[in-house]
This record gives sequence, C-alpha cells and structure tokens, in this order.
Amino acid sequence: MSGRRVAVTGLGVVAPLGDSVEELCANLLAGRSGIRRLDIPLAEALRSPIGASAGFRGDAHFPAPRLRMLDRVSQMALVAAAQAVADANLNFGTENRDRCGVSVGSGMGGAETTDEGYHIIYAERSDRVKPYTVLASMTNAAASWIGIDYGMTGPNLTYSTACSSGAVAVGEAARRIQSGDVDVMLAGGAEAPLTFGVLRAWEAMRTVASPDPQDPSASCRPFARNRTGLVLGEGAAFVALEEWNHAMARGARIHAELTGYGLTTDTAHITRPTAAGQAAAMRAALNSAGLDPGAVDYVNAHGTATLQNDAVETAAIKEVFGARAYALPVSSTKSMHGHLLGAAGALEFVIAIASMERGIVPPTMHLDLRDPDCDLDYVPERARTGVNLKAVMSNSFAFGGTNAVLIAEAFGARR
Amino acid sequence: MNTLETLQDILIGEFSLTRERVAPDAELAALGVDSLDLLELMFKIEDRYKLAIRDDVPHDLTTVADVVRFIDRLVAAQPQAPGPGGADRHAAT
Repeated sequence: MSGRRVAVTGLGVVAPLGDSVEELCANLLAGRSGIRRLDIPLAEALRSPIGASAGFRGDAHFPAPRLRMLDRVSQMALVAAAQAVADANLNFGTENRDRCGVSVGSGMGGAETTDEGYHIIYAERSDRVKPYTVLASMTNAAASWIGIDYGMTGPNLTYSTACSSGAVAVGEAARRIQSGDVDVMLAGGAEAPLTFGVLRAWEAMRTVASPDPQDPSASCRPFARNRTGLVLGEGAAFVALEEWNHAMARGARIHAELTGYGLTTDTAHITRPTAAGQAAAMRAALNSAGLDPGAVDYVNAHGTATLQNDAVETAAIKEVFGARAYALPVSSTKSMHGHLLGAAGALEFVIAIASMERGIVPPTMHLDLRDPDCDLDYVPERARTGVNLKAVMSNSFAFGGTNAVLIAEAFGARR
Repeated sequence: MNTLETLQDILIGEFSLTRERVAPDAELAALGVDSLDLLELMFKIEDRYKLAIRDDVPHDLTTVADVVRFIDRLVAAQPQAPGPGGADRHAAT
C-alpha cells in the first residue's frame, strides 16, 4: 500500500478455541477442534446440530443491566476489542480521539436478539418484544458500543459483506490510516450465529457439513475429498491498527505491518465464486504491498470446506503463485474454529499474524483423504514449527461476491 | 407485600442493586434504569398486577416513588380486584 504505513499493535480474540490469542494459538498448534454437538434450544430439530461455540460467557464480563442491552455479538466484540486495546497498551485518554475510529465487520449483527424477537412475536403470539431489540440487533451495534466505551469520535463504521466482512473492516480501516484521516483504528469482526433460526437457514442452503458420526469435532474437512460443507462458528477478533510513526513515537510493540489489501467482486452469481475474481483479489493485495508472489510465506485460506470454495480457491492460488503454489503452505484453520462468517476474516488475519510472530504454520485438520482438485500443501493434520515467516496472506471470500485479501509482514521485514 | 417492596425486589434482581440504593426517592437514572429499561420492567409489573400498561407509561417517572404511584393508580383504576384481566393476552409468556 502507498502512503502512510500501518502497524498492527494489538490483537484480541474471543473464539471457539480460546478467549486469548495465546490460548487460541496453543490449540491451533495442537490441532484441536472447537467444533462440537450444540446444546441449544431445539437443537434436536436440526439436521446438522454442530457448531464451533465459544466458551465465552457474557455475565463474566458485564453486569446484568449492561447485558440486557448487548446481544452476544456485541458482548464478544467488546471483550475482543478490549483485549486488543490492552495488548496495544493504548490509552485513549491521551489520544486525539477525533483521529481514532472503529471498523467492524458482521454478517448478521445481533442474530440472537432477532431470533428471540421473532419467537416472541410469532411463536408466543405476544407483543412483549424487548424494548432493546432494535438497538441490540442492529448490525452496527458492536461498533457503536466500542466507540462509546473508548469515546472514539472519529469514523465508526460497520461493513457487512457476508463472509468477508471482517477482512473488509480491517482493510478499509488500514486505508483510512494510510489516507491520513485517522491515526488509530480498532478493526475487526464479530458474529454470533449459533441460534436455531440462523442454523436452520444455513441448513436450508445445503452448504452445512453433515456431522461426522464418529467424531463431531472432525466434521469440517477443508480441501478433503470427503468434505461436506462448512460448520458455523461464533466469536470476535480485533486488531489495533496504528499509523507507523504514531506507534513508534509511543514505543508500542509492533506485531506486524499491514501492507496489503485487495478487494474484488465476483458477479457470476450471488453464491458462485470464481477463480479469476479470487486471484484478482490476491494480486491486488500483492500489488498494494509491492510484493512479488514469491515473497508470501503462508496463506491462511478461506477454505470453508464447501465443495465449490475449496476447489476454486485452489485454482485461484495456482493462478497467482504459479509453480510456487505447490511449495507454499496454505491452511484452513476453519477445520478447527469453524466459519465465523463476518468475524472469520478478522480472526484468520489475527491467526496469520500470531503464526508469523511465533514461527508456526497452523494445520488443516481432518484432511486424510486428498481431493485430486485440491493438490496444494495444505499443512495436513500437523502444525509446523520453527518456520521463518516474513509475509502472510489471509483470504476471505463471500456470498455476494466480495473477495478481500489481507497481507501482513513481520516487523523489521522492511524498514 | 406492598407495591414499593415489590418494585424494589424487581429492581434489585434485575439491575444488580442493593436494598439501600432503591429507596423511594432514588432516581431511576442514577440506578442505571433508562427509559427502555423501564419499559421492560413494566412487563414484570404487568404480570405481578395483572395489568396491561405498555402504551401508557408516562415520560415523567423519575424516581422509584413515581413508579410506585403510577402502579398504584393503575391498580386502583382496574375494574375488579387483581385476577384474570388485561394480562391474559400474554398468557403464553
């Protein structure tokens, strides 16, 4: 990207595999899956009652009166954002808060509140819809609450581009820092889709994985011949983004530099990805970073485990990286944390950065049966350690066609 | 249990408050009860007193005692003693 440089100075996650980056990384390294049989009302009526739930409990973080105003999606967003702020050691009391903003991606916003409201209206035939229903369910609630908590009076934006929302939120936030509009952005994604209504709707699309009869935790099998679809997950992930000199001046620890962001749109059909569109997004990200494809050391794939995505994404990666594609580690951590929809891009960007910092490549789990159409190095079954990663790419594609690709480089990779 | 005690119990339970804080002259805003919270609170009041009041909540209820007076006035205006009444249409809840 041209213009001012963007430092990633804080990371925060509330995810199926951990409520901290440290815990998440340890679980990814061990190849543990957070996917399980769901214990939610009416789960028995689902064909595929599995998901990657976070262990997160809102009442451990918020008093009862506050909880009433917050859908689960905002609760998780607030906690993940607070982690990123603490990790970055940012003090908004001393910042020019007009130059600080919030950028959040969410596909479905306060889905639990919406689901509950419909239940009250249509199932209970009651008119007792909760007075906070609109404020808790609106898609921008999470971003708004974060802005309120820290008094950030710069831009407060919510992006909803389905499964690429989180990546778009991070990329657009970086653009605002580069353009000079702001110096600090809290950017990320949040999603809490594990309610009966949402799960049933996804089932109806026939894109959801069948539960593995022996081991439900192995139900999401990206790139495998026996993959049957995606598994929904919930959580939130945030990064604190800062203009480079701003970060240096206050002596912040820099996790990575956000150098690349590419955005393209597939227009073939609302659900159909194209290799050309995905490849163009990866190229756009490389161009904005000023990197050759050969400089990328790891790709965190979109890798949803749907039949279509994984084959198309594989073809797109080959198109961009050529012969080197076969030597490039590409993994889908969704095999472990599921598909967090609007939070996925942010979570996976955090994972890519945390992996680079730790010199690890997280695996694609449950990949024992290879698909001839998916013939790259997906880091099957076992994480790699002691790997020197200087640049990592995170792919996010979406229903609706918005392809977003982020690139981060290790601190010190360029001076 | 009189109306004040009933309301105090609800406030203590729903808003994580102590009994000392929910004195009659306590301001709702100071207790963290905003106008939307008050509307939600009214669902519980309706159940307790078999009232149907949601559209009638005035905007000038500022203290605990104001709410008590409001409830007492509605109860007094009921055609009969508390029993099956306006709250029936919420029986499913």
